[in-house]
Amino acid sequence: MNKKLETELYKAATLAFEELGFLLPTPEIDEQQLNARVEAAVSIDFEGPFSGNLLLRICGGVLPILAANMLGEEEAPSKSLQYDALGEIANVICGNMLPGIAGSKNVFHVNPPRMAETPDLPPVVEVQVGLGIGRADLLLFVSRYPGLTEG
Amino acid sequence: MALNILVVDDSKVMRAIIIKTLRLSQSELGEVYEAADGQEALKVLDGHWIDLALVDINMPVMDGGEMIDRLRQNPATADLPVIIVSTEGSETRKEVLRQKGIGFVHKPFTPESLRDAISKTLGGLDEQKTGDGTL
Repeated sequence: MNKKLETELYKAATLAFEELGFLLPTPEIDEQQLNARVEAAVSIDFEGPFSGNLLLRICGGVLPILAANMLGEEEAPSKSLQYDALGEIANVICGNMLPGIAGSKNVFHVNPPRMAETPDLPPVVEVQVGLGIGRADLLLFVSRYPGLTEG
Repeated sequence: MALNILVVDDSKVMRAIIIKTLRLSQSELGEVYEAADGQEALKVLDGHWIDLALVDINMPVMDGGEMIDRLRQNPATADLPVIIVSTEGSETRKEVLRQKGIGFVHKPFTPESLRDAISKTLGGLDEQKTGDGTL
């Protein structure tokens, strides 16, 4: 099951970063990307057939580039627009990941993105995506659906 | 005919992306208005002629579902064409929207998918107009 979660999470992340952020995500992480410091993080709670939280951390100076790309601007936008952009990326990843995991007939309620707090639970799955000079970390936390956490 | 469009999304970045994509989609645009939630959108609709609303579902204050219900209850806006622009992946929810005559565009979207949804939603409206003349 965790392999399926990892695949769906990676697929949704790749789609969002490529089509919305105009970045080229890679599954391989080099040393510079691995050592990149966290710039910002957002999380999204969702409720449905299973409930949980998706945490997205962006690292290594990618956030201003991502936000500028999304807005089609040359210069980096304000910090608040950068966080807004990161929230939208997380929203799109979450919205595309859930039907991939649970099927398209199930209904989820996805809450708006908020500043990240790491839940007490360990993540069910963690995915890293290389993004040029930095990387993105995606951590999926699931509660109230034991079947999903079985490896 | 140039369309006056209302873009309703709590993310300023997403509103900018939708407007940029609208311009790239070669749709004939008139005025483009923005609102950050359903309540703000209803105020814009009160003061301006709008041909089409592009609406997110999950928003604070008043979400897209409640906004659409209010539109449909008001005779002045009951027939306003609406397209939901969302990450919603549930076919069950999308079917409910389709049955209400509401279009749907999935995020992320392309200029082509946005243009097709607009054409389908407004085209459907034209068909209804010419079909039974009741709209």
